[in-house]
Amino acid sequence: MPDSGYPWPISTTRLDNGLRVVVSEDRTAPAVAVNLWYDVGSRHEPAGQTGFAHLFEHLMFEGSVNVAKTEHMKLVQGAGGSLNATTNPDRTNYFETVPAEHLELALWLEADRMGGLVPALTQETLDNQRDVVKNERRQRYENVPYGDAWLRLLPLLYPPGHPYHHATIGSMADLNAADLATFQAFHQTYYAPNNAVLTVVGDTTVDEVVTLAEKYFGGIEPRAEIPSAPDGRTVPATGVPAVETVVTDVPAPRVYVAHRTYPFGTPGYDVVTVLATVLGSGRGSRLYQRLADGERIAQPDLVGAYGVDLAHAPAPLIATATARPGVSGERLAEGLSEVVDELATVPVTPSELDRAKALLTTAWWRQMSTVDGRADVLGRYATQFGDPATVAERLPAWQAVTAEQIAEVAAEVLGADDRVTLTYRPEEKP
Amino acid sequence: MTLIAERPGPGAARPYRFPQVVRRAVAGGQVVAAHLPGQNLAVALLLLDAGAGREPVGKEGLGGVLAKALEEGTSQRDATAYALAIEALGTELVTGLDWDTFQASVQVPVERLGAAVELLAEAVRTPKLDPDDVRRVRDDEATALRMDWANPGPRADAVLRADLFGVDNRWGRPLYGDPDSVAALDAEDVTVFHSEWFIRPGTLVVAGDLERIDLDALAATAFAGTGGGPVDRGGPIDVPLRTGRRVILVDRPGSVQSTLRLGHIAPHRAHPDHVPLALAGTVLGGAFTSRLNHLIREVRGYTYGIRGDFASSRRFGRFAVSSGVQTAVTAPALVESVGEIARTQAGGVTEDELAVARSWRAGQLSVELQSPRAIAAALTTLVVHDLPDDYHAQLREALLAADVAQVSAAAATHLHPDSLTLVVEGDAALIRDELVAAGLGEVIDHVPADPV
Repeated sequence: MPDSGYPWPISTTRLDNGLRVVVSEDRTAPAVAVNLWYDVGSRHEPAGQTGFAHLFEHLMFEGSVNVAKTEHMKLVQGAGGSLNATTNPDRTNYFETVPAEHLELALWLEADRMGGLVPALTQETLDNQRDVVKNERRQRYENVPYGDAWLRLLPLLYPPGHPYHHATIGSMADLNAADLATFQAFHQTYYAPNNAVLTVVGDTTVDEVVTLAEKYFGGIEPRAEIPSAPDGRTVPATGVPAVETVVTDVPAPRVYVAHRTYPFGTPGYDVVTVLATVLGSGRGSRLYQRLADGERIAQPDLVGAYGVDLAHAPAPLIATATARPGVSGERLAEGLSEVVDELATVPVTPSELDRAKALLTTAWWRQMSTVDGRADVLGRYATQFGDPATVAERLPAWQAVTAEQIAEVAAEVLGADDRVTLTYRPEEKP
Repeated sequence: MTLIAERPGPGAARPYRFPQVVRRAVAGGQVVAAHLPGQNLAVALLLLDAGAGREPVGKEGLGGVLAKALEEGTSQRDATAYALAIEALGTELVTGLDWDTFQASVQVPVERLGAAVELLAEAVRTPKLDPDDVRRVRDDEATALRMDWANPGPRADAVLRADLFGVDNRWGRPLYGDPDSVAALDAEDVTVFHSEWFIRPGTLVVAGDLERIDLDALAATAFAGTGGGPVDRGGPIDVPLRTGRRVILVDRPGSVQSTLRLGHIAPHRAHPDHVPLALAGTVLGGAFTSRLNHLIREVRGYTYGIRGDFASSRRFGRFAVSSGVQTAVTAPALVESVGEIARTQAGGVTEDELAVARSWRAGQLSVELQSPRAIAAALTTLVVHDLPDDYHAQLREALLAADVAQVSAAAATHLHPDSLTLVVEGDAALIRDELVAAGLGEVIDHVPADPV
């Protein structure tokens, strides 16, 4: 196994307008991944405009000056490609993987919507995509049991005014109030070449990509001042546990225990990543062994823990379990808290640590096994840490985490007096 | 602002390559492998002729319970020791079930593949299957299904399947069973199913850097102690098409969306129309740009997404459309969806639409077949459907060669808008009257069976 987490070449070029172009050549498969990270997410949304960054992402597929409405999808799929986009609190990414001969088409499409979206944006498109997003909210958050857990956890973890206080999907009221001028301004403010990273990975060369990037993106004007999101890196501990119980139509009690930890990319968060795997990944994890297998109070398929990889404020660590029949939410919450508490007091054994690192190593190489997986991490590291080559450091950093560090971090950020506990309880049936 | 207005054409096309396929008969079983030079990760997958189609009627969910029970201890170690051993290699035991096969696989850095396959074989071939453990796993599985069935979708899927294929047949019941069928299983059902289907050698599928993998050694491990030859897999099942369209209403009080499942039976996998059918399905509902998504999402804004496709296994197939739409527009969404299906059946596809569909499906054979996991899945297709090593290259050619006449003919022959079953899972009190008024067909209220 290589010592580096990224054994492929990486080249970075900055165009005169500030667009950073990252290229990683790999001729293994006749495909290229094109990926754009825009450094704008829901953390930039002011009060009253929640959900706007994500709704905007939808608008980016609806045509631009040289691309007719509906043509974007049709051209990429008609070239044999896969495409999508996602928005989270930190950033918005757009990506397509196409057979290598269609690289130029993909770059043309991305440049056209970076530089020419506003003139093509209509009220009709906005109204239609607002309806689509409201349906997305219903489908993913409102119409499924426990679907709103994330929406409830965020305000418990982050105080009002914090950039992570509200969820990316936004509120129905704000979405209803969205007007066209706001979105035109949103694009002009944030969709500038000097606020983006273009990454291309796969069957191409640095020269080809840089030449094409210059040709298609080079004429797009940079924006002088791009407003930053509110600073959320310091979140004062309240010293008071936050507890919320929701009684609703769910099939069984479920508990989420959540903590603010460290921003993604810091040494502390590397420890949290390994800690989360020890705690909640796989049948050998502490939560599975203690709650699903040992005490048998949790359903085996629905117990786990994970960090949410956010980089601009202390990122959440979430542990969750769902009760076996006959087990109360209170009993489950106690059990879950106990296992989290023990991370500070019961040392992680060498075999627990090796197991976690082995699982993380496989997960890392799985992400790296496709050109699209690689393009997205390069875009992330270039955007969030200024240098895509730092991607190679993450896997070795996980490998270097010690049991002592896990205990220290647990003592520092997983204390019971700064814990969020969200419990769902089924309604009493008449 | 200076943007280039002219859309660029394609560069020189690269030749299509599917990884080199190696087939070998070793130790009584078959090995099918793909060479991925330089790949750090490798996948090994044991493919058994033990799909849900092998479960007796009334025993739905056996395969799912057995899959979980495999990890509750083996002849060599208890459940905890097994979990720690396999996860220390960086993998979990991943199991999968479809109508034709049962699959168990591991995914690890390539130098750990031998050790991972030993643990895979240990669980699949020599599980302890202690009756107390099996009963506990069964109860957990029943609970897990109850959890799943609290979501919109599984009930609608089950109602559609029963209506298309008949609830008296195994294939008219849910792939993983339902909470009640699983709860009713005996520990002995599970051990009998294991001894009948999990001791036969099967096929070992491997995707990875074969320069660093000893296939013979893997096969010797995977097939050790196995016996019994292949069993006849049965031919295509003749399922009659329903006469007349009907709406089945599954009540979900308080639902803010209606979950739609529309469908009818369709050809099995080996049918000669497979490629034109796949393309017709793509134009109608298989891609973001398809007719259904364009109309129902992009024009009307009724939904976050709507998909439709033809799906097939060795013995049967079905056409189905699925979506979740806002409650208030349930009836118009159904009317317009049926309208698109009817329009496609009657008028076929256009060259413009087909051009997108065929290049998309062909291009996906490069774009989506990169990871060892994806390549292993492609190899299982070769094994399950008796296809040659160059199948993916042939498929690509067939997709690119299909013309409007062929695809339109397949749509005309295999779409049956007047025989559709329209299952609607939603707030019945709010939508029943509109559904009746829409005149799409008789509206029937689904009556759930009494819980066991």
